[in-house]
Amino acid sequence: MVQRCKACGGYQWYPRPSCVRCGSMEVEWVQSKGEGSVYSYTVVRRVVANSPDFQRDIPFVVAEVDLNEGVRIYARVEGVKPEDVRVGMRVKVSFDNVTPEISLYKFQPAK
Amino acid sequence: MFSASVSVTGYAETPVSRARVDKGEKKLTIEEYYAWALNLLLKQTELSLKDFKGQGVGVTGSAYPRAEIWSAEVVQNLGLEPKLLVRADQGGANGTALLIAGALAIHAGYVDHFLILGADTPMNIAGEGSLTWRYELDYLMPVGMMGPNSMAAMMMRRQMEVYGYKPEQYGKVSVSQRENASKNPMAYFRTPLKIEEYLSSPMISDPLRMLDICPFVNGGFAVLLSKTSLAWKISDKPVKLVGFGEWHNPDASNTLRDITSTGLKIASKQAYEMSGVKPSNISLLSAYDDYTPVVLMQLEDAGFCEKGEAGRFVEENDLTYCGNLPVNTGGGLLSYGQAGMAGGLHHVTEAVRQLRSEAGERQVKDARYAMVTGLGALAHGGSFINSCALIFEGV
Repeated sequence: MVQRCKACGGYQWYPRPSCVRCGSMEVEWVQSKGEGSVYSYTVVRRVVANSPDFQRDIPFVVAEVDLNEGVRIYARVEGVKPEDVRVGMRVKVSFDNVTPEISLYKFQPAK
Repeated sequence: MFSASVSVTGYAETPVSRARVDKGEKKLTIEEYYAWALNLLLKQTELSLKDFKGQGVGVTGSAYPRAEIWSAEVVQNLGLEPKLLVRADQGGANGTALLIAGALAIHAGYVDHFLILGADTPMNIAGEGSLTWRYELDYLMPVGMMGPNSMAAMMMRRQMEVYGYKPEQYGKVSVSQRENASKNPMAYFRTPLKIEEYLSSPMISDPLRMLDICPFVNGGFAVLLSKTSLAWKISDKPVKLVGFGEWHNPDASNTLRDITSTGLKIASKQAYEMSGVKPSNISLLSAYDDYTPVVLMQLEDAGFCEKGEAGRFVEENDLTYCGNLPVNTGGGLLSYGQAGMAGGLHHVTEAVRQLRSEAGERQVKDARYAMVTGLGALAHGGSFINSCALIFEGV
């Protein structure tokens, strides 16, 4: 899901109470196609003190993904070796059910 | 027109510390650093607390928890009674933003002097968890972003991809600034570095290595701004502020911003136009340097080279204090250390020291104009939200 402004039609991420293009508060949630490309990425090799839970996952890739709707989102990229990730790589969303209540978006290479 | 109506008439910095008590280092409180910085400034300027009554005071934000009314606490602790009190919350740009706010207040005639105080003790609060912000908590940390390191890594990867920058070019920044720091007894890391050591330093958030990252220190700073017409009464070496510019949240409505450039493009243009100074006139650059890729980015944005040319620029130029474009002659945050939310004042005190010819072994010859930059707040999907540029002229 991403936000779209009902007044000007612009999309935005992360979610905010008003549109960054026109200031309207008529922003709605719409379903993203979940497709995009890697704008930039990092391979996390050391975790910081306040995120010890990520220790078991290193090395892992976090990317800035530009979705087709024209917004940029930070997310894990999985299903590909860190050394094979490329800027510009096409990716598609999937969801991880972390807990019964929380589902976290992530991306993998588009087929 | 601003016409250099404001000058820096005093500056001070405390020794910095990583609070390694096991190594005999001091572990002082943030209040002690504020007091120490002010005390040093009073000694240098031979002013007393009552000289600041009814003047302006600016206090940098703090990473210290429970600092909700921080500027008020600071003036109460120190016995200051200002007419104007400003607190900055522009992160790395805190110090530079306060200089501009203070200069505007003096230029407007509301105060004659504006005292800027900044101290922070990030080494004392590790684990207390206040070093974050809301969009980081909600949209960055849950997906595994490791704070500012990962944000800087994104910029670096994009630069490497689009402009073809090489690890050695980032390493040159790290090595050159360490060379500068080796001549600065106040810098925390002073042992000269070889490029091989840079290249073999551990990958933290790939492509960002440990030696691309500035380490935290505890420390405090004070800078005094005065109306230029009164400056000679306070200092025999006043340093004139000849130009400045700020810009915040560049390209605000664009949801796909370029993370390889900053608002410094606009801020530095203002400073150049106000001062009539060109990049080729700048004797030294104090560039905000929490990470090496950020230094490359600013060489472009502040007009020292074209976008995409910074890698070659650092390769072909000498960035040390005796080079053709000295950058961060005191070591910068990379080697001097970053005193948390007050860290950006290091760039100011070093530039002022150079323009007063007080930099000892690392003195830049014939230093006349210095540019100081400040960048703050890592942007969601962008580079930095806050950008400041200042141009100073020495005596």
